[in-house]
Amino acid sequence: MHMQTILETKNLRVEFKAQSPSRGIKVAVKDLNLKVYAGEVFGFLGPNGAGKTTTMNVLLGFVNATSGSAFLFEVDVRQPIARQRIGYLPELTYYYKFLNAEELLRFYGRIFRVPSGDLDRRIDELLKLVELEHARKRPIKTYSKGMQQRVGLAQALINDPDLLILDEPTSGLDPIGRMKVREIIQRLKQLGKTVFFSSHELGEVETVCDRVAIINQGELKVEGRVSELVAKHNTNLENIFLNIIGYQPALAA
Amino acid sequence: MNTIFALSGVVIKELCRRKDFYVLFILTAVLTALMGFANFFHDDKIVRYLKEICLLLIWVSALVIAIGTTARQIPAERENRTIFPLLAKPVSRAQVVAGKFMGCWLACGLALIVFYIFFGVISGSREHYWPVLEWFQAFWLQWVMLAVVVAMVLLGSVVFAAPSSNGTICFIVVLGILLLGRYLNQIALREPEPLKTVVYGLYFMIPHLEWYDIRDFVIYDRNLIDWTSCGLATVYGAVYSAFLLFATWLVFRRKALNV
Amino acid sequence: MTRFSPFWILLLLLAGCFSLATLLQPRVDAWDPQAGSGGVLKLILGDSRRLIADQFMEQADVSFHSGYYPSIFDERKAPKGTAHMTSKEGSAEEEDHEQKMSFLGPPRDFIERFGRHFLITEHTHLENGNQREILPWLQISANLDPHRIDTYTVAAFWLRNSLGKVDEAEKFLREGLRNNPGSYELWYELGVLYSENRHDFVKARNAWELSLRYWQKDEPAKKEPDLIGFEKIVVHLANAEERFGNLEKAVEYYKMALKTSPNPDVVRQQIKELEQKIGSQQSTNLTTAHQP
Repeated sequence: MHMQTILETKNLRVEFKAQSPSRGIKVAVKDLNLKVYAGEVFGFLGPNGAGKTTTMNVLLGFVNATSGSAFLFEVDVRQPIARQRIGYLPELTYYYKFLNAEELLRFYGRIFRVPSGDLDRRIDELLKLVELEHARKRPIKTYSKGMQQRVGLAQALINDPDLLILDEPTSGLDPIGRMKVREIIQRLKQLGKTVFFSSHELGEVETVCDRVAIINQGELKVEGRVSELVAKHNTNLENIFLNIIGYQPALAA
Repeated sequence: MNTIFALSGVVIKELCRRKDFYVLFILTAVLTALMGFANFFHDDKIVRYLKEICLLLIWVSALVIAIGTTARQIPAERENRTIFPLLAKPVSRAQVVAGKFMGCWLACGLALIVFYIFFGVISGSREHYWPVLEWFQAFWLQWVMLAVVVAMVLLGSVVFAAPSSNGTICFIVVLGILLLGRYLNQIALREPEPLKTVVYGLYFMIPHLEWYDIRDFVIYDRNLIDWTSCGLATVYGAVYSAFLLFATWLVFRRKALNV
Repeated sequence: MTRFSPFWILLLLLAGCFSLATLLQPRVDAWDPQAGSGGVLKLILGDSRRLIADQFMEQADVSFHSGYYPSIFDERKAPKGTAHMTSKEGSAEEEDHEQKMSFLGPPRDFIERFGRHFLITEHTHLENGNQREILPWLQISANLDPHRIDTYTVAAFWLRNSLGKVDEAEKFLREGLRNNPGSYELWYELGVLYSENRHDFVKARNAWELSLRYWQKDEPAKKEPDLIGFEKIVVHLANAEERFGNLEKAVEYYKMALKTSPNPDVVRQQIKELEQKIGSQQSTNLTTAHQP
């Protein structure tokens, strides 16, 4: 069955000038070819500095690729319209401190041109979902970290996105918070949405994701269904990850 | 346009919730009131000094609001990382620049309306004379001037590293133009070449913000400036602002934003 | 070992500072007797207050011209002095001032031509009582620099002439005299006030005599003494003496004026007329004395 490609990169290459001129150019992403299909939960894994964030930056239009291309819903990511149907939750959640949750959601909803009647209903639903109804009129600067994370999730869902891009969604959350995020991801999957997220919580990834890609030093090392990878390597995802990045626990000991 | 107005709404909310405007307005009001209570030879019909002081305070306050508010817009978005969830929406960088400009300019306009209403009350109650058209003309031209200033500061905010340095440089440039812009051609003619050409070139290039300062017409109850000249000055201001905003977009679109 | 609480140490230090200050104060006063005198403005601004006072005086001039004023870049310099602010219409001073104030000239380029629409280009002076608008600047200038004489004379001129505030004018002149007791200009102006507004010619004459005395004390030693001021004083004195019937004294004053007057023929004519009057008076007295 032909599945729609929601997210695709073709020979994506991103180079930066190194901080020290003598070191030349740093290649953050090397000829990355990636595909994410509609309705799946896709895990994007890699150690720190692997190129995950840079890839996400390109997909979101924060950074231009040196060569190659990236597409969202078959629209080049350089076009703002490519982001019409996505929701993005950054790892570090910072929002306009002088706004309250309701104003923030209304602002983002206006950008997505959500009709005002629908927008009011959607804001109420989302604030209930993330349990911020009681704080909807309070300025965001008075929120705790967890509350800010939750308002971040709400703004990522304001336009009822078909693709959700999450950067370390459970980072900094307590176990209950992490569970709620997992539930939301599962619910979105049931609704036929696509989720693309990066994480270091391999246990969670193994539980939630349909497919994963592991990237190291800018190169795609492995990609496939979680169940197939686990069966093929006859071990859990964590060990697969460690083997791929070349970590040897015996030497360290 | 919907996105641009949404962005401008956030800027206006920020100005309303920060204390800058209220502090400046109270300062203006208190200083004007203090000067109003001063007794000069027991003559209560003296009013021009009060108009002069009030308008000077309004001009200084408006510039502080315009430059202060605009200088921190884009740098604060980057520093506070609010630019990322914003640009992750279907918003282009051109719309961000336009939205910030519109927000800052409208915010300046709202502040100016409050200031000029205050000025009108003070002046009218003392003079028993309400030249509303003159006041409107002064307000309108000042607002157009602030459009150029806001655009200039916005360009500075994507060029210079820190909002404080951008604000200081822009303040000095604007003050320099207001005080000296009219006279650069005279200065140029007194200099030897090649300085003469450089200064004269500068004279033609700079935005002539001093045209928009018609305080003397209001203070000394001179006639209205003809509306054609007003219109042409508005067009000049609009074109210059558009040019500066275009330059801002050209610089901003190339900037890498790393999360 | 006894531990002192920090509070007591602080108190001790404070007492020590206070004692030292009390001890040192007479010595500091001996260094500079004038330090501390002259008010808050002198303390804060020092001598720069004179520069600021000049600026306010210039602002008064700008106000007098309703915004039409040359900048430091205009080729013709700003009108020197403040004589134009009290000159009469049609006088030589006024004509000279009119010439100096046509500084704009034709525009040098299209930008300047357009910019003139937003600039006040008409030379006017305040009139019909609007001269009151310059008073705040003059008051502030006087507060900053009490030794600037023309601040008082210009303010007093308009207060008594156009605004009908003779009391205020006199009060301001006397304030000027308190700060500048040896100023012949202020004594002269006070004399004019008494003469023209109060019609108290005795006080006017006394004021002018003081003015002349101070002029003779200070001005001759200067490189360029104020001869116009001298001429005004002695002519007024001559008129006053004539009013009181002291014709010989009036002739004396006119002769003093002759040396410096720009119109010596007019003065000679006055002297001639007075001498004729003296002559006819003397012959009338002789005739009266010889009648039985």
